[in-house]
Amino acid sequence: MKQTNQLNRREFLAGAAAGAAAVSFPYLIPSGALASRGKGGANERLTMAHIGVGGMGGYHLRDMVGRRDKGEVNIAAVCDADENRLASAVKTAGKGIVPYRDYRYILERKDIDAVVIATPDHWHAVQMVHAAECGKHVYVEKPACCTIEEGKAMVAAAKENKVSVQVGSQGRSQPEAYSAHAYIANGMLGTISKVTCWHYASPVDNNPVPDSDPPPELDWDLWLGPMRWRPYNQRYCHGVFRWIMESGGGQIRDRGAHVMSNAIYFMDADDTGPVTVEATGILPTKGLWDTAINMKVVYTFKNPDWQLIWEQPGEKIPYFDQEKRKRLGIRDGYGAVYHGDKDKLVVWVGDGQVFTELKAVNYKIPAGGKQVYKSPGHKEDWFEGIKTGKKTIMNIEAAVATANLCNLGNVSLILSRKLNWDPVKQEIIGDEQARRMMGRPQRHPYHL
Amino acid sequence: MTNKLKKVSLAAGAVAAIKSGTAQGQAVDDLIAKLKDKNDNVRAEALGGAAKIGAAAVNPLAEVIADKDVEVSRAGKRALWKIVRHVGKPGADNEKKAVVTRLEELLGNEQVVSVRREALWMLSEICGRGSVDTIAGLLLNEELREDARMVLERIPGRKSLDALKEGLKAAPDDFKLNMAQSLRKRGVRIRGLDCVKLVPTKQTKVEPL
Repeated sequence: MKQTNQLNRREFLAGAAAGAAAVSFPYLIPSGALASRGKGGANERLTMAHIGVGGMGGYHLRDMVGRRDKGEVNIAAVCDADENRLASAVKTAGKGIVPYRDYRYILERKDIDAVVIATPDHWHAVQMVHAAECGKHVYVEKPACCTIEEGKAMVAAAKENKVSVQVGSQGRSQPEAYSAHAYIANGMLGTISKVTCWHYASPVDNNPVPDSDPPPELDWDLWLGPMRWRPYNQRYCHGVFRWIMESGGGQIRDRGAHVMSNAIYFMDADDTGPVTVEATGILPTKGLWDTAINMKVVYTFKNPDWQLIWEQPGEKIPYFDQEKRKRLGIRDGYGAVYHGDKDKLVVWVGDGQVFTELKAVNYKIPAGGKQVYKSPGHKEDWFEGIKTGKKTIMNIEAAVATANLCNLGNVSLILSRKLNWDPVKQEIIGDEQARRMMGRPQRHPYHL
Repeated sequence: MTNKLKKVSLAAGAVAAIKSGTAQGQAVDDLIAKLKDKNDNVRAEALGGAAKIGAAAVNPLAEVIADKDVEVSRAGKRALWKIVRHVGKPGADNEKKAVVTRLEELLGNEQVVSVRREALWMLSEICGRGSVDTIAGLLLNEELREDARMVLERIPGRKSLDALKEGLKAAPDDFKLNMAQSLRKRGVRIRGLDCVKLVPTKQTKVEPL
């Protein structure tokens, strides 16, 4: 890792006042906070920049503008490879915001403390690692990474550079996720032997089009980034990158990064992984998209022994209160069932929405019972991580453990065979082709 | 074994080989015909059986991949990837070796760039040191050198590492940084060619408010 560190990073550490301070603090302290000792007001606010401002990136920017308008943060810059989206983001964020096409200009700026990354998935790891190497705290959208190797680099970069990373599997921060977690952690289901997830199927590219020139507003080279070069096709972007294996990885890496994030959190399995992964499913036979339409993945964990099963579509369990479902727009097309030897529990959705059964919602942890962490909100939890050095609720290790599940499921499906996994070394065992697929060489200069 | 018995045995073997060859040839012909069909469902059915056909289908599939009909081309690509993923399984060394040999043949000038590029990436998953020289030969091809570099980076072992080192020496100035990156990735310390991954280059035309 160190061999790839840049002059920019070294110059940053040598030149910035924060560099010296960071030696004695567990995490790099925001430049605003350092400058603010004995002062009040704007200097205490984190200065943010947004990389990727369409889709979820647009949501994050609007959310952060709201926080800025309440005096909680500053926003300095926005960035996107699509000029139309960038222009729109400038309007959203208002005066004083500097637009960039190339995120590396943001990383050069020493006045920026933290970045929110919401680019297509194939960019998450590279941009998070680069931001960490430049001393920025990072909120990065899920899934954390597209390969096992990327995940390892992300964990190492966060640790070596002492930055706080929150990954956008925000389900863990929802109130009813806390309820479900408390209920399960206190043994109300008994010993859990199986968690089954359901999720509706992936779409098929029913409107395939030939390759063409990219639209003038899009920097195709930058959009592709680390992925090997290929001609532009309308069916790559925007949004539909999710159905490209190299980029989005399909439903399992999109929503699996929510539903399975909650599963390993509730099962206290953030720091471990399965020993075998076996996937079956149906891949598309036409169009550009190549992620699974239907899919079943069985993850077998040991010590304790349990199975996590991702089923697409699986057996949908409708939310129990139809009036509430309609009123709140509860998207019960995905969720999970926790099967214990005493009882079972359904947890619906898993992202910005998490709902569970009333027995868990109404549960009170008894005196002497096991306490579980109650997140103040996903971004608030990240801000606390930045300011105190505490581990975030969806820290990079947990996010990589979740993404590994998604990625191993896809590798097993593509290869049509069961994989053996070493959860300690985080390596596939005994299958050379699968081992090579733990990483993917990246295009110059958009690499880890 | 007597001469007579030997002759009988050889003849029986030859007949079996012809029968087998004919059956395989027929399977390849059927696969190609179905993949070229205009009907999505026919192509889908063909894909279901593609994986097990193996090396004999590789060259014919290259023609399908080069087809001008985008969906036929994609079907050819999907079929060939299925073969590559099938023969890469543990314990299938002979099948894999046969497919690797055929894939190397697809790297030649007579193939269109899209086929050569795809063959490179297929090799990246299953080839061994024996393919390194052929792949390294593409480091001087402007259209394919970046793919060839990445593929060499992925192939484990000393031979691919040496090929990357030689590639750096021979690389034109505008490709030296790329080669240096692969070597760094493989754990080699590079002096005089600083990594530029954090150096911004792309300018926007969007103005601040």
